[in-house]
Amino acid sequence: MTVNRRNKPASVNPIKIGQSLGAVLALQGCYRAMPLIHGSQGCSAFPKALLTRHFREPIAVQTSALQEMDVIFDANRNLEEALNIVLSKHRPDIIGIIGTELTDVAGVDYATMLKSYKRERNMRGGLAFSVVLPDFRGSIESGFSATVEAMIDEMIQQVGHRGSRTVNTRQITLLPGSFLTPADVMELKEMISAFGFEVIAVPDISTSLSGHLLTGFSPLTRGGVPLDSMLQSLQSGLTIAVGASMERPARRLHNALGTPYKVFNGAMGLKATDEMLHFLHQISGEPVPLRYCWQRENLLDSMLDAHFQFAGMSVVSALEPDHLYSISAWLEELGVEQKALIASYETPVVAGMEREVWIGDMDDAEVLGGGADLWISNSHGIAGAQRIGAAFMPAGFPVWNELGAYMSVSVGYRGAMEWSNKAGNLLMQREAKHRESSVRHR
Amino acid sequence: MDPIRKDEFDSEACGSKAPKSKPCPRPKPGEAAGGCSFDGAQITLLPIMDAAHLVHGPIACAGNSWESRGTLSSGPSLSQYGFATDLNDSDIIFGGEKKLKESIDYIAGRFAPPAIFVYSTCVTALIGEDMDAVCKEAGDRLGIPVIPVNSPGFVGSKNLGNRLAGDALLQYVIGTGEPEPELPPGVNLIGEYNIAGEMWDIEKLMNSAGIAVTSRITGDARYKEITWAHRAKVNMVVCSRALLGLAKEMESRYGIPYFEGSFYGAKETTYSLRQMAYLMNDRDMERRVDRLTEREESRLTQDLRPYRKILKGKRAVLYTGGVKSWSVISALKELGVQVVGVGTNKSTEDDVRRIADRVGDDTEYIPEGGATRILKTVRERKADIMIAGGRNMYVAMKEQIPFIDINQERHKAYAGYEGLLRLAKELTYSLANPIWKLASSPAPWDKEVPYDR
Ligand code: SF4
Repeated sequence: MTVNRRNKPASVNPIKIGQSLGAVLALQGCYRAMPLIHGSQGCSAFPKALLTRHFREPIAVQTSALQEMDVIFDANRNLEEALNIVLSKHRPDIIGIIGTELTDVAGVDYATMLKSYKRERNMRGGLAFSVVLPDFRGSIESGFSATVEAMIDEMIQQVGHRGSRTVNTRQITLLPGSFLTPADVMELKEMISAFGFEVIAVPDISTSLSGHLLTGFSPLTRGGVPLDSMLQSLQSGLTIAVGASMERPARRLHNALGTPYKVFNGAMGLKATDEMLHFLHQISGEPVPLRYCWQRENLLDSMLDAHFQFAGMSVVSALEPDHLYSISAWLEELGVEQKALIASYETPVVAGMEREVWIGDMDDAEVLGGGADLWISNSHGIAGAQRIGAAFMPAGFPVWNELGAYMSVSVGYRGAMEWSNKAGNLLMQREAKHRESSVRHR
Repeated sequence: MDPIRKDEFDSEACGSKAPKSKPCPRPKPGEAAGGCSFDGAQITLLPIMDAAHLVHGPIACAGNSWESRGTLSSGPSLSQYGFATDLNDSDIIFGGEKKLKESIDYIAGRFAPPAIFVYSTCVTALIGEDMDAVCKEAGDRLGIPVIPVNSPGFVGSKNLGNRLAGDALLQYVIGTGEPEPELPPGVNLIGEYNIAGEMWDIEKLMNSAGIAVTSRITGDARYKEITWAHRAKVNMVVCSRALLGLAKEMESRYGIPYFEGSFYGAKETTYSLRQMAYLMNDRDMERRVDRLTEREESRLTQDLRPYRKILKGKRAVLYTGGVKSWSVISALKELGVQVVGVGTNKSTEDDVRRIADRVGDDTEYIPEGGATRILKTVRERKADIMIAGGRNMYVAMKEQIPFIDINQERHKAYAGYEGLLRLAKELTYSLANPIWKLASSPAPWDKEVPYDR
């Protein structure tokens, strides 16, 4: 409907995270990968610390460690040095070079440099690509999808000359958006494979950031989709993108290979899950597995149980665009009042939403959401929620005030149930506290 | 932006006694770890809790870093707000100075802070924004100090950023105010950031000995108290190489003697308190300190007994920003923990000498970062526990090594006598946790024992 902005010059308590962090996240979902941020070392240290704090896992990332003079004279010399070290020391399968605002403003051409680097060293077998992600545009969401797009682009180029492609109609490529947790990606993979499909998620954080203890420490990513599976995904008969931001990489596959695609803007709540399962049922010709029929009943029953809790309640949500869309659709089903919706930046999907959306920060959430009962945002919102007296529900990135946030499921019937219960419980506890404080002593 | 006089700062940031020929090593592409100078500047200044801290640049510098430290406030929380000019494409092309000016006005108008710190970042430095001029103009117009902090990330390490922040304090803050007349002469604590509330434990001790704090630089500080730091009688530099320059400059400008000390471990704590009283030149105070430290130490010995029994002979690898290493080693030694490996990547020769004084010959020095290198030491030296910063925490978890967080993000205060006891407890809990056994034993079906009907 409408997209608004409050008129203020500075960002106060930003929701937005740098795009390059989204790129680092995307690469964590690829096996034996190394994201290499072309910038000063702070630009990799901050994302590393933040991702570590959220996922409670070591995070693979390196930097070209630019200093003032390097930027002015020859930034690519640092990049070359970094590539040499990373390649010889760790032998990654995948390297993603992530350009920052610094290289962008300085006008560093690392794409050409990478090309000649690969030519000179006769680099084959691995996947090395670059992506331009200055932080004065977009946020974690756009950085993530642009990186997946660049990765797919590179794959297409690499196999492009190998003659015609055989299509495997029983195989589906899943492109999960940045707002999905490792557990969400796992749930989506299960849902799709329950209809008899092979699924290859690109990237696949469900097997890298979900907390397995198996392989000990490695400076490269552990888990995630291996390169050969990624290349194999080019033969999929269909692409499923979850989150509108993932439409671009899906379209890239379509344009280059003719792979049809289906985009699900949202993945949360009864209707979104219905839609997805119905679609899978139709394209596979398989019946919807019994366990989902059960889960649907469970969800509806729990929503009935909880609806007393939500009656008359209001919510403020401040999230990345796709996530906001998804969560808003779920809130709709709970029957709560959506007092304010705040997105980190503007995308077509939020601009097209039926409700009014504000582009802004946590401060806007605080001002526009005054009087709300529930506050949904990343952990940066805790203080704001406290100030307006709302119950705080962590969602998105980063979340540091809750254990296992990265393993919480929000998609599918199970996810909707888990989240409805969580939201309901928070409201219940808040009410109990209020009641306690209003007890009169005689 | 003024050119950063690199050579000079670099050697000073690593410690003034580092020879000129060996400046801070340049971070190595492909192998670098650790934050940028902008990060370092924030570490030093953000604990000024009532001030506003505005980051001038595109979103990532602020967006990825706000609310990431464990420095606590006893009251005002404005410094926990994340303010950013959040520059976009056109701001970069046409310049962000207008937006900066408007942002300063906005913050001053809405939050009425006693001061605003404005941080430059790589891009605003690169495109040559005249931050100093904007700050000066805004400060004059608004009637509050608006302080430029010229420490963009690409000038160097975190350490250098600490030092540049110290310079900003010297240039714009210290000496601009006068204390309330009833404030007794006291000590400045420099480089103590109140991580997990450590400052409060230290102050409690100082209060018990009748030593007043003049200014906190900067843990749980208020802007005003830093303006009168020049009225202190003594400066204590709390295990912070980077702010040593600040203390030296204050000595030459205001004649305030300084000493370097630490509050990690009972011995260091006692030494620091004694040193304060001695430099205050107050006999009564010295006697009070003696009584206090004796009492505290003997009580601590009692309290520590059960933990010492468990910790004796345990082996630890310590990896923390060079400056803190030697003081933490002292603390560990008092608990009977042997340090078998220690990080020295940010240490100066002075630091290394101090480390060498405290550890035995067969301690391995780990000169540069990288989790692989630390893990190798843990394995080769058969360490029981790893003590490092949060970034390495999950590295240790993956290898199932007990771990204690010693850096910025931690939630436990380890300073002073109380802190040492807390450290002993934490070490014990960590080592004794049942998870280590559980995680290393296989599932029953992996044991290959035939089923016994
Ligand atoms: S290195 Fe520069 S651009 Fe990167 S976070 Fe630090 S100040 Fe910001």
